[in-house]
Amino acid sequence: MKLKNSVIVVFLGPAVVFYLLIFLYPSIRTLIMSFFYVKTVTASMARWSFVGLKNYRIIFQSKMFIHSLSNIFYIWFYGGLGVFFAALLYAVILTSGVKGKSFFRDILYLPNVITAVALATMWIHFAFNNQYGLFKIIFQTLGLKQLAEFQWTAPEHELFSMTVAYSFGCVGYYVLIFMAGIEKIPTDFYEAATIEGAGIFKKFTSITLPLLIGVMKTAVVLWSIAAVTFFLWSMMFSPYDPEMGTITPMVYMYNTTFGRNVIVTNPELVNAGLGAAVGVVMTSIIVIVFLAVDRLLPDQEEIKY
Amino acid sequence: MRKKWLVIGLSLLMALLVTGITFAAGKQEAAKAGHSAIKLVWWSMWNETEPQAKVYKEAVNDYMSQHPKVQVSIQWNGREIRKTLPPALDANTQIDIWEQADEYATKTWKDYALKLNSYYEKTYPTTNSRTYRESIIPALYELHKSFTEDGSLYIAPEQPFIVSSMYNKDLLKKVGVSIKTVGATWEEFLAVLEKLKSGGITPMTFDDAYSDLPLAIHLDRLYGGYEPVEKLAKDKTGKLWDDPRVMQTAKDYEYLASEGYFSKQVATNKWPAGQQEVATNQVAIYPQNGSWLPNELKSTAGLDFPWGQFAYPIPKNGKDGGTGGTFGSQAFMINKKCKNPDTAFDLIVFLTIGKWGKKFSNDTLSIPMDLSQEWPKQLADDKEIFKSLTNNYPWSGGLGASSESFPIVKKAFIELASGKINAEKFVAEIKAGVTK
Repeated sequence: MKLKNSVIVVFLGPAVVFYLLIFLYPSIRTLIMSFFYVKTVTASMARWSFVGLKNYRIIFQSKMFIHSLSNIFYIWFYGGLGVFFAALLYAVILTSGVKGKSFFRDILYLPNVITAVALATMWIHFAFNNQYGLFKIIFQTLGLKQLAEFQWTAPEHELFSMTVAYSFGCVGYYVLIFMAGIEKIPTDFYEAATIEGAGIFKKFTSITLPLLIGVMKTAVVLWSIAAVTFFLWSMMFSPYDPEMGTITPMVYMYNTTFGRNVIVTNPELVNAGLGAAVGVVMTSIIVIVFLAVDRLLPDQEEIKY
Repeated sequence: MRKKWLVIGLSLLMALLVTGITFAAGKQEAAKAGHSAIKLVWWSMWNETEPQAKVYKEAVNDYMSQHPKVQVSIQWNGREIRKTLPPALDANTQIDIWEQADEYATKTWKDYALKLNSYYEKTYPTTNSRTYRESIIPALYELHKSFTEDGSLYIAPEQPFIVSSMYNKDLLKKVGVSIKTVGATWEEFLAVLEKLKSGGITPMTFDDAYSDLPLAIHLDRLYGGYEPVEKLAKDKTGKLWDDPRVMQTAKDYEYLASEGYFSKQVATNKWPAGQQEVATNQVAIYPQNGSWLPNELKSTAGLDFPWGQFAYPIPKNGKDGGTGGTFGSQAFMINKKCKNPDTAFDLIVFLTIGKWGKKFSNDTLSIPMDLSQEWPKQLADDKEIFKSLTNNYPWSGGLGASSESFPIVKKAFIELASGKINAEKFVAEIKAGVTK
């Protein structure tokens, strides 16, 4: 049945209008704003002052911005390794016919339904605390004195601790994604492999992993976006001023756009245009990561069941 | 065909109903607004559950009962107002009054605000025939004028604060020692710390959130002002960090750490863990915190906690004589587009001077705005310190002048105070951080 043009317009029109208004307009405005000094994020264009590429020069000369990039790379790489390893492991176990699959899946997913604010508070004040924290008690009980005295929230360990806390909550989400991918793989493959004498490890490396490439690509892109836009946990770990271990590009953007305690004496440091430039750079990074993942990992379409 | 007409008919009916309801609601709203000739909208920096908000709610109800033609609606924004207010003002939302910290408000939002100088020279029902200017703390009046080049005032203060060293008087008494409220020297301070330590009491602690303050005031005292510290913070060559006064500061703190005067938790304290160490009698002194601390800790420490304060000690070769310190206030602003600015200012005076100002101070354990009112007993020493101050240092004493070096300096200082690095490493770490 061929749809009339008018029907297409009627059905697609509102979606297109909303897309243009809500997504495209702010994106273009942000891009333009990044070439201006703008005092407040909603200031009318008449109040913007053109500065050319100055905002970009500032951020690329900013040690704190570069440091914030290295922080999210740390979260992306080490957090990603941990989350993907744990999620794959759990996904494989839970799809292997183990009893209580739904129960364990729900337990693993549970941190995702709790607000990150509550989770971060729990980690900072009840798990990492050096006087009465969970880890302190556990390691003390086990007689592991050095580990019990580990200073989780000290400046030099803050990034590690934040990555651990954040990654812990993410595992369940990726378990669900990987489980969905594994369950799509025909069981015949595993049966044939079993008959041929393949062990669990062989089946995982030769069947599960290659056939999960498509899912893995999506997961890597999702994880990368989460790392690039890392904000809330950082704000929870350092709610007053940015700290070396917790500053991320989004926090840097927030500080320059809205100001925090540190930006009081010099109001020129509050510059929504600079924040917009950070936004443009970070969006570009996400696009680059997406293209890189797309190029580096083979295409799922090549694999036919 | 019939069905089609039925659908059209029902749609029309629905549209009529919705229009009717909206119209009726609009009329009702209009009728309400007509009854109240003046409608003021106030965006507050407090959260509705905070004691400040509770007092203000009662006070506003009282104001409206005394002024039946005035209707005040409050939106409790909390501290997120920094983010939410400018967009709302740019969109011409009616917001007649809002609040923010004094310096930030003046320096970032004054373009939206009404100049208030003339209002300071008038009398109000709660000021007892004094002008508003004569009713409030003079130091705040002078400070707030200094935020603008021409002395224009865009803010009216509320909840003044002072930064000082906060301590548990009973713990000092227990080891038979006391400290001067104003003018204590570094040696006298060290003697107190030693007594506490030998009495089995952990002398000091702080949190990450306030870790910059002791370092900043120490440098401010040595340099005799915050301006050189601002230069230090902005220095990208690292050369200014070679100043002997920086090394002396680092050595002083290296000594405090090596003598075990800081809590073992000082490296790991995420706010408010350090404050809780003081509230639970584990530690005696919090080297620098705001006068809001007794209010913040009252649920843990209780109202009878033996709070004491002293001005940060004067280090050897200190230049400011201990007369410099950080003080300020939160503040109200009035929108320059406000249609009833006289009523708005009258309301602000009603809230801060007189019986409601007193209740605010009592319930939030904060410094009263009104000169004629008593300070809460928990802040008795702060009153003496406040009187002694002749120079105001901004928050972070100048270290906050650069958002680039600030996190580097804070990290190095926490490591120094927790004994992880020595003075030389402290300076080297900062220099490496700011120059690399």
